[in-house]
Amino acid sequence: MFMKRQLPIAIAATIGFLTLFGWFVDEPVIKSFVDDDATQWFDILASFAMFLGALNLLKMQAIKIIKQQKGWQYAALAIVGFTFSFTAGFILLGSYNVEISQYDDPAKVATVLASEINLDEKSTENILIAMPEGDTYTIDTPYFTKKGADNVVEQINAAGGTANMRATEWGAHISTRGSLFNWMFRFIFTPLSATMFALLAFFVASASYRAFKIRNFEATLLLISGIIIMLGRVPIGGNISAWFILYIVVLALSAGVNTWFKNRTYTFAAVVGGLLAVTIAGFIMGWPVDQPAIFYLPVLQDWIYNNPNVAGARAIMIGIGLGIFATSIRYILGIEKSYIGE
Amino acid sequence: MEKFLDFIVRAGSLDRRYIFLVIALVVILPLFFPLGLPIRPTTSSQDVYNAVDKLEAGDKALISFEYGPSTKPEIHPMAVALLRHLFQKDVKVYITCLWPDGQFMAMEALEQVAVKQYKKTYGEDYVLLGYRPGAEAVIKGLVSNIRKVFTVDANGDFLDDIPMMVGVNQVADFDYLFSASAGYPGTVEWVQYAADPTGVTMSTGTTSIQVNEVMPYVQSGQIVGILGGMPGAAEYESLIGQAGIGTSGMDAQSVAHLVIVGFIIFGNISFFVERRRSKKY
Amino acid sequence: MNGSEIFGAWVAVFLTLGIFSYLYKDNPFYKIAEHVFVGVSAGYWMAMAFWTQVQPNLFGRLWPTPDGEISGFLMKSWYGIYNFFGFILPSVFPDGGIDKGHGHDPHFMYILPFALGIMMLLSVSSKLSWLARLGIAYTVGMAAGLRAYAFLNSNVLGQIKGSAVSFVDMPFFSLTGVSIFNNLIILVGTITGLLYFYFSKEHTGHFGKVTRVGIYFLMISFGASFGFAVMGRISLLIGRFTNLITYGGPTYHYASIWVLLIMIVLLAVWTFKGDKKVAS
Repeated sequence: MFMKRQLPIAIAATIGFLTLFGWFVDEPVIKSFVDDDATQWFDILASFAMFLGALNLLKMQAIKIIKQQKGWQYAALAIVGFTFSFTAGFILLGSYNVEISQYDDPAKVATVLASEINLDEKSTENILIAMPEGDTYTIDTPYFTKKGADNVVEQINAAGGTANMRATEWGAHISTRGSLFNWMFRFIFTPLSATMFALLAFFVASASYRAFKIRNFEATLLLISGIIIMLGRVPIGGNISAWFILYIVVLALSAGVNTWFKNRTYTFAAVVGGLLAVTIAGFIMGWPVDQPAIFYLPVLQDWIYNNPNVAGARAIMIGIGLGIFATSIRYILGIEKSYIGE
Repeated sequence: MEKFLDFIVRAGSLDRRYIFLVIALVVILPLFFPLGLPIRPTTSSQDVYNAVDKLEAGDKALISFEYGPSTKPEIHPMAVALLRHLFQKDVKVYITCLWPDGQFMAMEALEQVAVKQYKKTYGEDYVLLGYRPGAEAVIKGLVSNIRKVFTVDANGDFLDDIPMMVGVNQVADFDYLFSASAGYPGTVEWVQYAADPTGVTMSTGTTSIQVNEVMPYVQSGQIVGILGGMPGAAEYESLIGQAGIGTSGMDAQSVAHLVIVGFIIFGNISFFVERRRSKKY
Repeated sequence: MNGSEIFGAWVAVFLTLGIFSYLYKDNPFYKIAEHVFVGVSAGYWMAMAFWTQVQPNLFGRLWPTPDGEISGFLMKSWYGIYNFFGFILPSVFPDGGIDKGHGHDPHFMYILPFALGIMMLLSVSSKLSWLARLGIAYTVGMAAGLRAYAFLNSNVLGQIKGSAVSFVDMPFFSLTGVSIFNNLIILVGTITGLLYFYFSKEHTGHFGKVTRVGIYFLMISFGASFGFAVMGRISLLIGRFTNLITYGGPTYHYASIWVLLIMIVLLAVWTFKGDKKVAS
């Protein structure tokens, strides 16, 4: 019971206190533990959590296949995908480099090398000639298989050059451009993750059309602020004349007059008077696109962005900050026990 | 008139697939047929530009890449534009990455700008320290002692063998800090653990979604200026006078925004007509 | 352009259009792309976490490359274990030790996070899953200690400092620079916005009026966030389409065009067959 309940709470409390006081204590041993080791342990445990996630995923998909549940074929595909990325990460190095250190006749070596680096033979020959004495030239893109790299090495050696194969170090293979893992990252992982994000653009547009209705004043403020930001921050906003916005404001105010007084004469007077006033002012000023500045979308957007928007965002940020502080203290003091399932 | 109002009400409940098609078209068509709309920098982008412009030749700038391929369209253009500005001014550039993908992005940007465009020398004009896992731990380590976090750079060369690392031991030794960030760890962590404690001038570039989260830091002066998403990148490109990917996407962005605003307005007109009708009956 | 790049482009286009096909309706192409994403992501993050954290920072500290000959029973036994692991997994445990810049002496303290990590993995088994609580407790305690100070300092105190605005030596109103009116807006907006979140008192009477003002500022902020969210998503969409346009070129053998056409035809057949089934 102690191990299952009290020990985790004790660990959270001890580590929490140590890390918190590490900000204020100047003692070298504690500071060194808090600044270096404690955060390293955190990251190592986060990595194990990642492994756990993968294991759980495999377990769930395997159960689906074994029990032949609906869509089990797709679960098999998920496992195939996992197997491929696991293989690229842990089993197949997928990154073998070919290095050329010497050549007798650069033209002959260039005939082999040119097709490997997708250049014409003359440019390839120039690259070899420009190579300083004692240096090695490494083909930019590594080969997925040892056999592939060895084939190229053989061909270059047969053409009078001296080439050798160097396998990328395990660990570095995940960040080497052109390795199998990197291929998977560029052509499978990246398109999928980027497209999942990009898909939301369509749903945002659909929501804008079907769901964002002005039901009350707060919703009106939200939408107007959103519209001003959306138009003001892009180049097209700079091409919308301030006078166009002024006309819209006159019409909106007239709608307000109508709602307030419910009198046709007043409404008519407001519309005609407002439109006339704006038109006369426009003629006098010569219809400049960016004046009056307060109705010019980019300037208005900037003002909203830097003032009322910051006020609201700051209120939320302070609220969140206080909330995180309070919750952290609750975890450290052992009041909050949700992480052990209570 | 009734028929017209009927049409508006029916159009209000249009199948969403037509909306998807319209959005796809308004984004694709300007990519083939650019409109060439002029770009007007905002004050927040201007502030970043001014902060970098104040730097002199030989000053040291620490740039941190924390974004990946999924947010590359928004942040990579601003990272490239910033590097162009820094190399134009002969500022020494030090690059670190808090995201593993960030190292790939940094390598791509350096290849394009430092190697091909400005022909800078590695180790003398710029250095890629690389990716280290640990988020806040890495930042805290850099603040106290860079060599505790990085013994070697991304190429495996010892830091002490790199000429431009001489005399650079902690974050406070830098003149400028920039975080190109798409989430956690990123701008917020740099402010909390580096800029605030050391007082080094810091600017940031973030995805559009993150902008509001970071704005209070900008307004309070903890961060000097912010480049927000692809529009921010396009604004910075126009300030340095070199158009890039950010600029080329702005026409599509403009038209898409206009269409979405149109959708909001039309949707509400339909809503009001329907509401008036239901009140009548 | 080598074969693997061209093949990769076709795979990327298929997966991208597969995800986009969801916009039509949930269909086999989308399900294929989705499940491949799930599987590949799990393996990708596992490999990244292992090779960037566990191998260099955990194993690299437990078994760093020793400085010269190993002596002493403890060290010889310790590196004996390493050699055994190295026999099974030579890629993870290369000959002689792991040299990742952590000195030459083993950091035995790191046995603790290793043990906690293994215990975390045991949560797969329902009988031993309680052991995972110890690792989770460490993570929770660590995060709580770090965040408590950082958020209080930067998000609360830093922001309160920023809200202490000036009202001297400035114009009353300015659209682009600092002004008394702008600073007043920020101050009033921040305070009323914060008061809105104070739920220990009912929002009625004068207090209710103040919190009403607060919600208006919050709505303006949410509206701006909505605008930025739209901006961000559209930017990402532009990025994807730019990619598809590149892969639709002759260098990649018009991958985007061919895959799109084939998918449209197959989706039409699938839809038609589905409608026939429903009708019968």
